[in-house]
Amino acid sequence: METSRSYPRGTRSGDWVTADTPVGYELQSLKKKAAVQLMGSRLWGRFNPNHWDPVYAAKTGLKAPIQTGEMSSAYLAEMCVNHFGEHFFTGARFSCKYVAATLANEVISTHGIITAKQENADEVRFTVDLWAQNEAGEKKTVGTLDVAVPRGKGAA
Amino acid sequence: MAEEVATDALKPMSDIQIAQTRAFIGGLEEGSTPYWDAVEIGDELARELTLTPELVVLYADGVEDFNSWYEGWTMNGWRAEGSSPFGSAIVPPLLVSHFVLAVQFDHTKPFSIGSIHTFHESEIIAPIPVGTTVEIRTRAIDKYEKRGRRYVRHEIEVTDVAGGTLYFRELRDIMSL
Repeated sequence: METSRSYPRGTRSGDWVTADTPVGYELQSLKKKAAVQLMGSRLWGRFNPNHWDPVYAAKTGLKAPIQTGEMSSAYLAEMCVNHFGEHFFTGARFSCKYVAATLANEVISTHGIITAKQENADEVRFTVDLWAQNEAGEKKTVGTLDVAVPRGKGAA
Repeated sequence: MAEEVATDALKPMSDIQIAQTRAFIGGLEEGSTPYWDAVEIGDELARELTLTPELVVLYADGVEDFNSWYEGWTMNGWRAEGSSPFGSAIVPPLLVSHFVLAVQFDHTKPFSIGSIHTFHESEIIAPIPVGTTVEIRTRAIDKYEKRGRRYVRHEIEVTDVAGGTLYFRELRDIMSL
């Protein structure tokens, strides 16, 4: 299997976005379960019982504890790193809007599609629509990525 | 009549675990005020955070991101330089975004539980090596109401304490109870 230091180990060359990747290219989804044990860990949501305690969540009108939005953002970022590799860390713009709450025990999938390319002299700048949804297809997080890939930058 | 929700509805717990949980939440609720009331436009807060290898893997484990680029700590080897396209191990791209809340919510006051993060627009400027000490600086730039809900907007900068490198910028909204 072809490998590259520029992309996470285990990704394949066909997954790597290069200057030649066309508009319409779909990033490969990740799947994650909103496990309440992770949602309520000290480093994540322990500070706010809305993120892990069903009693407190019910008291504030929620159907179940909700994930911190930053967990969805991290899922989407992981997907982007798989495809854009090191380029995601040098000048990328990444936005997320949490349009609906991710509830405990939901299975979330991440999605992305390249919607535009701007051809510059030394680089190609990609615009990517991003979203995360549950198994029923309800969108939970929507966002965009703007990231540049240098021309002629092969796999290192 | 609404069905009563149990503390152990989502995971198995014993009586003592349930009692400890309720005591912990009781402590969080004491003295907590709505975030809207706790922030004035122009408020600026900053804290330093050392991005230790252990902190980084705790973050990554919580979202099940096992990319080896973030590993400056492994179970067999403990602390190590690690490896990434930039040399040694780096922190996940949005890790510092997660820690912004521990700055913008003034840590010297009771935490405003019940607030919800609704939006962020982040600029990932440069990779942050694991082990770096960064300063996270937040400025409250707006408070606004939209469709009956109250929001507080902050702008954030994350810089290297030692060298001044600007690693990360962000605009973010918190919805307040």
